[in-house]
Amino acid sequence: MNHLRTLVTTLATILLTTASLLQASEPIRISVPASMTDAVKELAARFEASAGPIGIVINSGASGALAKQIAEGAPADLFISANAKWMNYLHDEKMIDPDSEQVFATNTLVFAGLLNPAITGMAAVTELERIAIASPKSAPAGEYAMQALEGAGLARALEAEGKLVLAKDVRHALAYADRGETDGAFVYRTDALRASRAVILFEVPAALYGAVTYPVALTKGGATKPAARQLHAFLTGAGARQILRQHGFGTPD
Amino acid sequence: MLTLQPADIDAILLSVQVACAATLLSTPVGIAVAWLLVHARIPGKALLEGIVNLPLVLPPVVTGYLLLVLFGRRGWIGAWLARHDIQVIFTLTGAVIASAVVGFPLLVRSIRLGMENIDPGLRQAARTLGAGPWDTFCTVTLPLSGRAVLAGMTLMFARSLGEFGATIILAGNIPGVTQTIPLAIYEYTSAPGGDRMALTLCLVSILLSFAVLLISGAAGKKLERS
Repeated sequence: MNHLRTLVTTLATILLTTASLLQASEPIRISVPASMTDAVKELAARFEASAGPIGIVINSGASGALAKQIAEGAPADLFISANAKWMNYLHDEKMIDPDSEQVFATNTLVFAGLLNPAITGMAAVTELERIAIASPKSAPAGEYAMQALEGAGLARALEAEGKLVLAKDVRHALAYADRGETDGAFVYRTDALRASRAVILFEVPAALYGAVTYPVALTKGGATKPAARQLHAFLTGAGARQILRQHGFGTPD
Repeated sequence: MLTLQPADIDAILLSVQVACAATLLSTPVGIAVAWLLVHARIPGKALLEGIVNLPLVLPPVVTGYLLLVLFGRRGWIGAWLARHDIQVIFTLTGAVIASAVVGFPLLVRSIRLGMENIDPGLRQAARTLGAGPWDTFCTVTLPLSGRAVLAGMTLMFARSLGEFGATIILAGNIPGVTQTIPLAIYEYTSAPGGDRMALTLCLVSILLSFAVLLISGAAGKKLERS
């Protein structure tokens, strides 16, 4: 009985002290599309180098999944989406500060895989066995890929033959192609540049899919935090633009 | 309100297909392994037991990843299979293998318990009456552990229906090929607006599991009476 009491008290004390510790320094939480994870990590490090160690927590995933997390009440101060759709979704849900919405990067779609001279354009992908795309339901990269496949009139055949492997986000799709588990993957140019073994087999013709734009916005909660506002200003500023370009992103100007 | 997309119906059929195949293929092996664990005097029995039970305690993602390493294009088994033009990863075969490995310990545990509960006197009686080991197994051990085998199969079937972690890694998420119910639900829940479809599939999942429990309960009673 006494042991039990000690145990319960100890556990309760640990819980209370750690809980207050977590509460003490509240980090800035930023939800980032998988394709932009590395760029934002570097940007966050640069920002902290000048603004002090405020603690930036990066949550990366498919933009649609992130939007849903935020809509369900997940903590986030800034949201970056890899398309306008999921930003608009949160806008309509009144979860973000509309004044802070701003496109700050662009990207293009490519087909990446292990070196294969036979694959030179969209039409050739039908000859492949397995093609990875990010899940079009939640990942913009998958949506752009489906747009391109539909534009080229290939989507239905590939789906019917069960050739499309759905990855949870674009980095996951890249990993499939990079390990040679699929014959290739539709990914952003910036992702393909980070692959260790896969190479860009061809660029997807821009006419086949919508422009890939990355809007950033403060959430309603983030708009009340000065540090989050500073980070937002930094991300949309000239210094960030240079780093984004180094990572292969386009920037609007 | 409860409308199923064609892709959802594919997912349901695939789930049932995978669970049936995994359970039926594993059952003979499960009976053999359980018999070995109960009756055989072989060296390294503890090791065999450990290996069989490992998927029960490992996170399914770890099991899936180890299977991927084994069966992948550069894996030990995968490279050999590739030479014979058999592909496992991203195929239905992969989904069946993942389910079979993850569910196997449940099957063996249950059968083993049943075999251990058989009165050793019955087997000895059969042997003294002139039955060989194989005869004894077929006429005494197997019939008397029938309910345990059934219970094990039920557990394994249910586990296979719900298998997610190892499946998504080894078999991937391909609509119409390897996208089973849990994978379809996962996809719906990660996109805004997918909640209703996810709930519909959850309902199907609950109904299926209930049906399995009812059928196995009824079959168990029948075995008991006979």
